[in-house]
Amino acid sequence: MDNYVKNVDKTMLLQIKNLKVKANSKQILKGINFRIKNKEIVVLLGPNGSGKTVLAQTISGNPHYKIESGEIYFNNKKITKMPPEKRVKLGIVLAWQNPPAIKGISLENFLKKIKKAKELPSSLGNLNILSKELNTNISGGEKKLSELIQVLALNPKFVIFDEIDSGLDLRNLKKVAEIIKKEIIDRKMAVLIITHNGQILNYLKPTKTLVLVDGQIICEHQNYKIVLNTIKKYGYEKCKKCPFFANRPSS
Amino acid sequence: MAMKNAKNVHFLQIDHQVKNIFSLEGVVVMPSPIAYKKYPWTKRLFLNEPKEGYFIWVKKQVDFPLRTCISLASFKTSQNLSNLMIIEKNLKIKAEVLCNALKNNLYGIHQAKGKLILKEGASLEYNHFHFWGENDLVNPDYEFYLEKGAKLFYHYKNFQPPKNLNFKTSLELEKDSQVDLKVDILANKSLVNLEENLILKGENSKGIIRLRLVSKNKSEIKSLAKITALNKATGHLDCQGRLVDNYSKISLIPNLVCLNKNAQLTHEASIGKISEEELIYLRSRGLTEKEAIDLIINGFLEK
Repeated sequence: MDNYVKNVDKTMLLQIKNLKVKANSKQILKGINFRIKNKEIVVLLGPNGSGKTVLAQTISGNPHYKIESGEIYFNNKKITKMPPEKRVKLGIVLAWQNPPAIKGISLENFLKKIKKAKELPSSLGNLNILSKELNTNISGGEKKLSELIQVLALNPKFVIFDEIDSGLDLRNLKKVAEIIKKEIIDRKMAVLIITHNGQILNYLKPTKTLVLVDGQIICEHQNYKIVLNTIKKYGYEKCKKCPFFANRPSS
Repeated sequence: MAMKNAKNVHFLQIDHQVKNIFSLEGVVVMPSPIAYKKYPWTKRLFLNEPKEGYFIWVKKQVDFPLRTCISLASFKTSQNLSNLMIIEKNLKIKAEVLCNALKNNLYGIHQAKGKLILKEGASLEYNHFHFWGENDLVNPDYEFYLEKGAKLFYHYKNFQPPKNLNFKTSLELEKDSQVDLKVDILANKSLVNLEENLILKGENSKGIIRLRLVSKNKSEIKSLAKITALNKATGHLDCQGRLVDNYSKISLIPNLVCLNKNAQLTHEASIGKISEEELIYLRSRGLTEKEAIDLIINGFLEK
């Protein structure tokens, strides 16, 4: 019961408070604050090395990343020190950017082991990768599809997609985006999308945009197009100076 | 664990008693002591008069696996087996061989001397499974002789090793013969000594030894693997080990001896811990740490 805290906003699904995280003794996240509501679609933008993946991994409970201070709440429950497998049970699932190869088990048999959902949606189509070893000897696009299948099998409440769109050609990008839209967003799950090029956002239409630079969220905005266009035109340096900078969350 | 259906087992021995012999046309199956007396030519193969064990002589093609099962069932039983299997020319045979303890704390001894002869052009897929109690002592010592053009695929699997396992395998290959030896061992509170000795005697003989070793719960695995090329031949040794904790140990000693300038012997080896990243990935899919370790180990051994 100690994990249930009174002074958090109960309308929020995820709350991150002043989160400071180190990896290999290096400070990566320098006081992150943001909140995600139920059913909300949020995009996190940021340059290489800004800490996006560290943030995603920290939310999903990767013990490699050491939380120095700050708190993470999910459904009003403090999960800051909770192991990753318990977070999955609460409904937090991360689609990895670069999932490691796991030899000796096919995706199909792995799904049988982890599956919470009754059956996989038909929108996934004919899946040749089911019989292949997990993340082994498959293309980049197939890895992304494998991550998506696993996410759906876990029947989550909140999904973090860490660069699910990277390395996908236009056809596969559309396919992945349509599955996310139909099977996750339309089914009212909350989503945090981490992306570089932002093309996928035209399909998913996030309602909140966060910009992470050098371990800090420097912008929170409702219109992803404005933020994305600014970044594309002027780079992230401009972000720091733009008028929306004032809107960044302070706590 | 016994074979699921004893009727399908061609030779079944429990402790010292032969419980079942299932002979079939073209395949002679009998206890080794009887074969020693009935076929005088076996004397040079058995070396000493056998006390127990099986004799299997495959003279005709059979299209199903030959199965043997030798079990320890009583407290402090000490088996001393002499097994002999002969596959006649050009036959393609599959064998499933199980040796086990039917209970955990029997403090038994299983000593087995085995000799397998593959005549010219014969082919054998030999699947050898061991399941032991944690206080048993097990010493299998098997010799394989491959005549010209013979092929052997030998897979030894031991995921439930005894307290002490001394596992010796020697393989002698004549011209154009091939062997693929795969040894998978998951040592758990065990002391395991492995000794593989592959002799590439004939021209164009080929051999590969693949070891997949996992050591956990204060186990120790020592492996001496030797390949000798006496002729123009190729041999490869592939040893991989994984340590699950800091209290276990694996030592691999490869030994390649090349006595012919046209022979090629190669070797690769690695020992390491379980990948942290793989572990976290599986935990981020809802598996506990123990479940994740088991899955990674099984995958590693199945490779």
